[in-house]
Amino acid sequence: MSMTTEPEIRRRWGGGLLRLLATQIELRMLLLILAVMLGLSLASPYFFTVSNLLNVMDQSVVVGMVALGQTLVILIGGIDLSVGALAGVTGIILGLSFPSLGLVGGVAACLGAGAIAGFVNGAVITFGRVAPFVVTLGMMSIGRSLAYVFSGANSIGNLPPELGLLSSETLLDIPLNFWCLIVAYALCWGFLTYAKGGRTLYAIGSNPEAARVAGLGIARWSIFAYVVSGVMSAVAAIFLASRILSIDPIGGTGLELDAIAAVVIGGASLFGGRGSIIGTLFGVFIMVFIRNGLNLLNVSPYWQGTAIGSIIIAAVLVERVLSGGRGRA
Amino acid sequence: MELLALRGITKRFGATLALSDADFDLRSGEVHALVGANGAGKSTLSRIISGHVQRDRGEMLLEGRPVRHVGAREAIRDGISMVTQETSLAPDLSVLENIMLPRLAMPGRLRWRELRARARELIAELGQKAGLHLDDPVSALSIGQRQLVEILKSLALGSRIVIFDEPTASLSPHEAERLFDIVRALAASGRGLIFVSHRLEEIFAIADRVTVLREGRVVAGNLDTAGLSQGELVRLMVGRELGDIYARTGPADAARGPVVLRVRELCCPPRVRDVSFEVRAGEILGLAGLVGAGRSETLETIFGLRRPVSGSIELNGKPFAPHAPLDAIRAGIGLIPEDRRGQGIVPDFSVRENLLLAHLGAHRGAGLGYGQRTQGVEELLETLGLPRHRLLDANMLNFSGGMQQKIILARWLVLAPRLLLLDEPTRGVDIGTRGSIYALLRRVAAEGVACVVVSSDFEEVIGLTDRVVVLSDGVSVTDIPSRLVDIEKLGMFAAPRSSAERTHGVLEGLVSEHGGVAYWIALEGGRLFCFDRVGEDAAADPGFAAGGFPELGQTRIAHAVPAREGVATAADGGHPTVLVPVLGRRGHSLGMVGLTLPRLRPGFDAAALRRHVIAELGSTAHAA
Repeated sequence: MSMTTEPEIRRRWGGGLLRLLATQIELRMLLLILAVMLGLSLASPYFFTVSNLLNVMDQSVVVGMVALGQTLVILIGGIDLSVGALAGVTGIILGLSFPSLGLVGGVAACLGAGAIAGFVNGAVITFGRVAPFVVTLGMMSIGRSLAYVFSGANSIGNLPPELGLLSSETLLDIPLNFWCLIVAYALCWGFLTYAKGGRTLYAIGSNPEAARVAGLGIARWSIFAYVVSGVMSAVAAIFLASRILSIDPIGGTGLELDAIAAVVIGGASLFGGRGSIIGTLFGVFIMVFIRNGLNLLNVSPYWQGTAIGSIIIAAVLVERVLSGGRGRA
Repeated sequence: MELLALRGITKRFGATLALSDADFDLRSGEVHALVGANGAGKSTLSRIISGHVQRDRGEMLLEGRPVRHVGAREAIRDGISMVTQETSLAPDLSVLENIMLPRLAMPGRLRWRELRARARELIAELGQKAGLHLDDPVSALSIGQRQLVEILKSLALGSRIVIFDEPTASLSPHEAERLFDIVRALAASGRGLIFVSHRLEEIFAIADRVTVLREGRVVAGNLDTAGLSQGELVRLMVGRELGDIYARTGPADAARGPVVLRVRELCCPPRVRDVSFEVRAGEILGLAGLVGAGRSETLETIFGLRRPVSGSIELNGKPFAPHAPLDAIRAGIGLIPEDRRGQGIVPDFSVRENLLLAHLGAHRGAGLGYGQRTQGVEELLETLGLPRHRLLDANMLNFSGGMQQKIILARWLVLAPRLLLLDEPTRGVDIGTRGSIYALLRRVAAEGVACVVVSSDFEEVIGLTDRVVVLSDGVSVTDIPSRLVDIEKLGMFAAPRSSAERTHGVLEGLVSEHGGVAYWIALEGGRLFCFDRVGEDAAADPGFAAGGFPELGQTRIAHAVPAREGVATAADGGHPTVLVPVLGRRGHSLGMVGLTLPRLRPGFDAAALRRHVIAELGSTAHAA
């Protein structure tokens, strides 16, 4: 049991900064990002150029959108493996519905499909009491399969050019799609910090029984997390399509792993209850920076998986050591 | 020579000095209790002995030989093992596999036949042959039986020193009694036993010597319990006189309001079968019974965590059928659950958010609404004695059990409830803090809140509550003012049907052989307590029902009492009655078995009946 009072901690040598570092995951992440950026700009003169940074921003949008939904799911102690496949199938739905429903109708159909899939995930997990891993693994298979079925295994071109504006337009020299990402994260941050639903997600992940006894709506908000994850997969599909104005049934493959990695690097606990949306955003940047850096350094794509995997494991180990040393006595 | 001697043990965790220069001795054949309030360092000391924690300074001598164990494995090799609070058994493996679990980790083939024979020997050594089957999965065992397996496991390792860490925390009084028998048997076989506890009655019942820790220091080492009083021990533990922790302020029956909660014939299988009671505003009602009697489940049903199959709940005179806890919360009910860590604390939330968790549940609207509670929280902090700056502490688990419980309690007080349901409110709370929780509850009740307190601690039930409803196997068997009852009577009322089956069988036998009405009662202070009754013959009505506690003069068997040794008594108006006092194994009273007949038949042999009852229930009986 800790008898330490706060002034005592402050009085200890260097306690202030160390304590901040130990308790503020966002700060740790920021330092880590700065270190990665510094390293990459030393390693490659091309890294710190405007065009490359714009490129990095562009690349962080799709995985960032998916990672946002994944954060909510991981906060409640769940996991959503279906996001990549859902991005694939909702993209196909988007492409197929443009001709008949128009731009707005197509986007609505795409988002709706993501929401329905997320709802099914959440409802089966919550009411059927099936492990999230199993349910979303099944949904991953279903999603990818439907993507092929709906598209006849062909890619869809001839998308409305307005869709491309999302990726090509800029505001204050920053790509529009990146602004969308920032706005989405800001909204999510507000939700997780100031809304009843957001705090409920944390409570569910930290101790579902206590949340239940306190009258929090566990089933409702658990399903909500999966619905958001499904919708964000569809959002990612829209941004994916806007970049190349073409949709492929294999679109979004492997996105779930990048998203989960970003959330975990961002400091969230896979057991739930602990994590932050800002941490996830930093996690996304770290992932994208490293991919980008490896490309700039001409590392073979075959080796990139090894590099990224090692970084994920190292990041989680460091996190465990840092957070393990806090609050235990 | 001492079996184990520790000298100058010091241990620091981060900034906290958990143990400072502690000494401790253990002789073979003794039970040595290690006591102290929560956080006093008794767990740290026992974990240093068991090798789970490394000491910073000091030395440990095992039979005079200095030892330093790196990890529990090395300590086990030297014959030191620990039976923990949370059992470390593999629930899906059988009893045998669990007992021999450490063998599974050793190289070589497993010879099950030998292991089985060895396990049988160990069980026989403990005198617990019955009730434990080697092939049952551990998940099917009761908590008491699991602990037994845990003990067998440490014996299978050939342990000479066994540490029991709060072993009775989740045991019923009967199970605890059985555990004490085992502990004594182990000590008699020459082992050294360390018994970590903060329950005083236990320490006096079981320990030969006691070492008291306070704030990491040994304040009294190796005291003989024989020459010690409870008061002295408490003073050593908390450093001051406690006074009467159950002290009541104000008149007993004052300010009783209208009925807040009325439960009728509530049935929610499997545990709750037929429960009825009511509680008034300003009243503290105890729900007593053994673990598994359906007490927690009754509270959970009222709180909307379980759906009743039949029966009714009325809240403030209106029918109440909650579908979810939220319904109960909005109706002004609060539940302090039994398992504080499992159902109470949200570990990743700050103290403030934990305090406001029920508010968050009850809050309508999308935001948090914490602001509207600021004033209420400030007032509560004063009541709790919690410094303001600790409100933002990130981790509630850093607080003592007592403070955690007060924060959980305050979580509901924030909402100004009308009915509080408390499940084992002082579990894991040291004796120094218990008194303040009782005082807080009294204060809450005095403000007009109706409180229902579930507790396995009969002393607490009697001391804290105004009235007690006893549950036994899911049935409310009596409803009695606390001042009229004592621990023994509560125990007999609470005896589950399974263990009172024998008594019940004897009563049935008497009625079927002789007719009339047979009963199991106790007499005390001019009052009769009826625990069980068989027979409906109105012509032999003894004047009380099962669960009743009338004054003796009001019954129709008063005339039989003075004639205890007499055969059968028929006086004016009284029916012929035989009363047979039953004594238990250790000479304590198990009450009386009685038979009332409509009229005396010729040839009725009361002496034979007496012999029959005593043969069936006396000395070997486990009636209570």
